[in-house]
Amino acid sequence: MTKSLYGAKEAKAIWVYLEQDEGRLESVSLELIGKAHELAEAQGIPVVGALLGDQVSSLAQEAIAAGADEVRVAEHPLLRQYTTDGYSKVFTELILKGKPDILLLGATPNGRDLAGRIAVRLRTGLTADCTDLKLEDKTGLLIGEVTGFGGGILAYIKCPDNRPQMATVRPGVFAVPEPETSRKGKVVSVPVELAEEDIKVQVLEHAVGGGVDITRAQVLVAAGRGCGGDFSLVNELAGLLEGEVGVSRVPVDEGWASRDRMIGQTGYVTRPKLAIVCGISGAFQFTVGVEKAEAIVAVNIDPDAPIFEQADYCIVDDMFNVLPPLIEAVKKARGGNGGR
Amino acid sequence: MSQPTDSVLLKDETWERVDKATGGAAAPCFQCGVCTAICPLGLVKGETISIRKIVRQAQLGLPGWADGLWECTTCLWCESRCPHEVDITKAILGLRQLAWKEREVPEGLPTLLWDIYFDGNSWGRPPSERPLWAKDKAIKEFSPSDEILLYVGDDAAYDRRIQKVAHALVALLEAAGVTFGTLGEREPHCGDAVRSLGHEEYVAEIIESNAQLFQEAGVKTMVTVSPHCYDMFANRYPHFSDDFRPLHYSLYLLELINGERLKFEKELPLKVTYHDPCYLSRRNGICDEPRQVLESIPGLQLVEMERSRDDTLCCGGGGGRMWMETAAGERFSDLRVKEAAETGAEVVVTCCPHCITCLEDSLSQVGKSKLRVMDLAEVAHLALQS
Repeated sequence: MTKSLYGAKEAKAIWVYLEQDEGRLESVSLELIGKAHELAEAQGIPVVGALLGDQVSSLAQEAIAAGADEVRVAEHPLLRQYTTDGYSKVFTELILKGKPDILLLGATPNGRDLAGRIAVRLRTGLTADCTDLKLEDKTGLLIGEVTGFGGGILAYIKCPDNRPQMATVRPGVFAVPEPETSRKGKVVSVPVELAEEDIKVQVLEHAVGGGVDITRAQVLVAAGRGCGGDFSLVNELAGLLEGEVGVSRVPVDEGWASRDRMIGQTGYVTRPKLAIVCGISGAFQFTVGVEKAEAIVAVNIDPDAPIFEQADYCIVDDMFNVLPPLIEAVKKARGGNGGR
Repeated sequence: MSQPTDSVLLKDETWERVDKATGGAAAPCFQCGVCTAICPLGLVKGETISIRKIVRQAQLGLPGWADGLWECTTCLWCESRCPHEVDITKAILGLRQLAWKEREVPEGLPTLLWDIYFDGNSWGRPPSERPLWAKDKAIKEFSPSDEILLYVGDDAAYDRRIQKVAHALVALLEAAGVTFGTLGEREPHCGDAVRSLGHEEYVAEIIESNAQLFQEAGVKTMVTVSPHCYDMFANRYPHFSDDFRPLHYSLYLLELINGERLKFEKELPLKVTYHDPCYLSRRNGICDEPRQVLESIPGLQLVEMERSRDDTLCCGGGGGRMWMETAAGERFSDLRVKEAAETGAEVVVTCCPHCITCLEDSLSQVGKSKLRVMDLAEVAHLALQS
């Protein structure tokens, strides 16, 4: 096996890549800071955020409030927008100076892109697209949980020899920690050497696509024929619960929803923590796409709907009667603790 | 002189690969195009898939994948009209086999094969839940002294709708005093999904291990719920003993009726039409037997659709299409339920899990409220109770 560029003995700290876009931190970065803080506390090691960009140092405090002990900021005009070349070069140098034991990135499009490059340059392994993280009891090694073979199995992967132990983690797996504004941490500005020749890609336009990936959603609010094409309540509830909207086949057929939201055998097999299934009778070809959910709440006007055989909580009523009070209750609960 | 812009270069190496994968099935084709003209996809789409082109591709060993390779439901309509008896399905499945090797298969299909590999069924359900369809029934483990092994299949084992078909069939077998058992949790996936998606090597493994399992279990007469399983056992499996006799349940019910073990004495006043599953009719020539079962029920009136028997219209679920999405407006079953409704029948009867699923799905979309979809076993069971 290829030897890594530095050994386990020199490695220290858990690093989290603080991904920012147009001066806003991706929430997955804060989620990872929160998780890293929890893991690091048990080990008595620090959490370091790595922040790359142009005039972004003001974001460091956000990471500290979420649990970072230190933030290393690498600023350069050429880092204003993400490019694979520029970010890989600067980040690799940053890592080689700091020698983290563990390095976590969000499994966002740019995070995935960057992680692969970095891992190769550092001659280390990368556990991509994790759905959970923990430290092994005796060794303190990072263990990443990933789904394999199209969601068929869960695999636990560790990287025993090479450093850093890298993982990308799906957004939404961990909660964003409550910001502790009084928390103090170090902000270290690191010099950056970067020239235009280092970047082979020219960014012509920066656009954020509207693509969805319901297989990653922690909360799914799904609707079918019963919604009659009216997704207003479903959208609102999904928004409040920070989840995604999923559908059965009928809304796709009717043109009410796009195919990338379709749950089921010929759509996507999902495994959210919570699925609220409204106005979907629950044919077998649909339920195979949602039954791996930790909890299913079914709302259907037909007491004989087969979905009730799969659901953990069954509500026999029209979804348009059930959702408004539920939405109000969620709003109230959210309002009660200051919202998020 | 200008360079030709759309010429293709033929490579011996590619040709050999394609020829091997398709077993030379395409060779006899003389490109008349009847297959393309008759392909039922023309009924639901602006144009058919160009089967002629796919076959030509297989003849020449052209690289790249023809449009429509994965749209074929293996309904066999093209082959039934081919003047040169080209094994078109073999050519198509051969090209799919190459697509697996190139890892250029539609999204979701690798997951399906992994599901079968890990869980032994095409629905990704736990193998331990396989016998649960019969949890309220006292169905015993098969023993060699039993008259038949009931091969339940993935659909009847896991799909709650198709479980009802298995329940009806069990009631009929019990009424006829048949001694039978199942393999319970040990029952394997038959391999149809794998074969129809073209993964030849994997299906060969499945067949080998299953044949051994059946042989060791002492299986002789084996009755299947699905025509797809039946087709596998009858035509793709080695006949490991002279006594091995795979039967679709419609054939077995007719045997029971002819042997006067199963008798429908009460009237069942019901007007029905029968939808032939491709895998019984065109693929295995079984058109009369299911009808004879229906005709043995007093009071039942059977009316025919225009496209019936060897000319049946596929439901759209064969050829692995059950696990791929067919766009709205392109589903054969939408047409089929309309055709069934036009006969004035109250019930469209069929005897294939895929057909039931597709027809019922279309019925709920198209909304022919008077029409119902029932399985042959369910109708026969109803006749027994009425």
